[in-house]
Amino acid sequence: MISIDKLCYNSRLRYENAGEKFAFAMVTLCICVASRSIAVACIVLAVTGILTTWKGGIPVLRYLKAMTVPLTFLFLSTFAIMFNIRRVPLDLFALPIGSWYLTASRSAFLYSVQLILTALSAVSCLYFLSFTTPMPDILEVLRKMHCPRLLSELMLLTYRFIFILLDTASAISVSQDCRLGNRDYRTSVRSFGLLGSVLMIRATARSGKLYTAMEARCYDDTIRVLSESRPPRRGVIAAIILFDAGLLSLAVWRKFFA
Amino acid sequence: MAYSYDEGASYALDGLSLEIGRGQRVALMGANGSGKSTFFLCCTGICKPQRGALYLDGEPVAYDKKSLLRLRSRVGIVFQDPDNQLFSASVYQEISFGPLNLGLSEETVRQEVEAVIDRLEIAPFRHKPTHALSGGQKKRVSIADILVMHPDLILLDEPTAALDPKHTKIVNHLIDEMTAAGITVVLSTHDVDFAYGWADQVVLFHQGRVLTQGPPQQVLRSSQALALTNLEPPAVVGLFERLCRRGVLDPSLPCPRDMDQLEDYLVGRDD
Repeated sequence: MISIDKLCYNSRLRYENAGEKFAFAMVTLCICVASRSIAVACIVLAVTGILTTWKGGIPVLRYLKAMTVPLTFLFLSTFAIMFNIRRVPLDLFALPIGSWYLTASRSAFLYSVQLILTALSAVSCLYFLSFTTPMPDILEVLRKMHCPRLLSELMLLTYRFIFILLDTASAISVSQDCRLGNRDYRTSVRSFGLLGSVLMIRATARSGKLYTAMEARCYDDTIRVLSESRPPRRGVIAAIILFDAGLLSLAVWRKFFA
Repeated sequence: MAYSYDEGASYALDGLSLEIGRGQRVALMGANGSGKSTFFLCCTGICKPQRGALYLDGEPVAYDKKSLLRLRSRVGIVFQDPDNQLFSASVYQEISFGPLNLGLSEETVRQEVEAVIDRLEIAPFRHKPTHALSGGQKKRVSIADILVMHPDLILLDEPTAALDPKHTKIVNHLIDEMTAAGITVVLSTHDVDFAYGWADQVVLFHQGRVLTQGPPQQVLRSSQALALTNLEPPAVVGLFERLCRRGVLDPSLPCPRDMDQLEDYLVGRDD
């Protein structure tokens, strides 16, 4: 997750208008999920993959590696859908186990493939967004969409705090290592517990200090900030509309006419 | 004023009295825990002294919301650890926070933010997330945070602590620019050499109280006061006194302000 954050600040698509990227990712994701079509999912996977790696300049290997994270979960969960244990073998294949069969049907197989691809393409849409758009830009879009202020402010502070706490945690864990805090299983469990409790205390202290510093700058319970945003480009918007309209018609056609 | 964090069990400020004149360069010095940071927090109305009062322009400061906002729009504070001050991951958002709170229009704020980014040379890292900045860069952003609000008085809590010599120089230069722009600067520091060369007024804190105050040539030569506050005399003063003892220089000469002046004494130019 942290590596995604680092990479997105270097993406070549970073300075595209965040609203465009957000709209593209969300609309495409919705079409993907609603259509449940293998063809649509493949197209989306290809397009977002190309946009993220080739256009955005994210290393292909890093991207593929990130994709394998949800893949593991997907495989594990679809196994249950695909395989059956029955007395009568199904049409795809059957492995005899005593008098029973470990078996799968052709339709269940297709269904699992479709499920995996749909989920993967939906994830690829979100990856596109997170590999090209820094968190503050996404928050700005949410703010413009009138997402509740409490939520967006909370996200802004949380995002900042993740890194502060991560720094603190790694500093503490290094200093524990230096004093043989992870010598054996017992000490490492103890050290980890201590780390957790100290981190909690530090987080509380930090948030107090941060509040003080904000108060000193005339904070009055509303976080008002300005962001830099690039104006949306007509060409890009047209391309997004064209792509998503095409995708939608394909999905509709596959569902009802094919 | 007096201030206690633990309801009277111990006092961080214990009968402190201090007056800061407009346009002055004031260096607060003293051992760790002598009350410098607490004093700063009292100056912006974050901590309300349990005894005594804070005066701004001769008027006592009230602690209702409106008066506090007015106080804080005129008195800015740069905290020692930038990580405790920077709340946003975006440099631009971070700097725009203060002026927006002052109620300025979006247009004006954008101009102000751009101006301060230019002035403090933040442009090379303005698009980086704050968690990817170096210590010196974070410090510059945290100073920009305050400068963009155009305060009359800036409090800097150990501005050059944990900075490398290059960033120390940059920050010291910024501080000089603030003074030139007519801003009153009060900073706390342990760097006697810097305080000696820079300050109009040096204030020594000791156990929540002002031990002595005055021009640096006077305050930073009193070895008794320095010992009480865990400080060493400035290098230039030490050298000057040794040279006087050795009979190289005349002890009746005024104490030199910096190394250049000492050099002039040695080569015999007394202009």
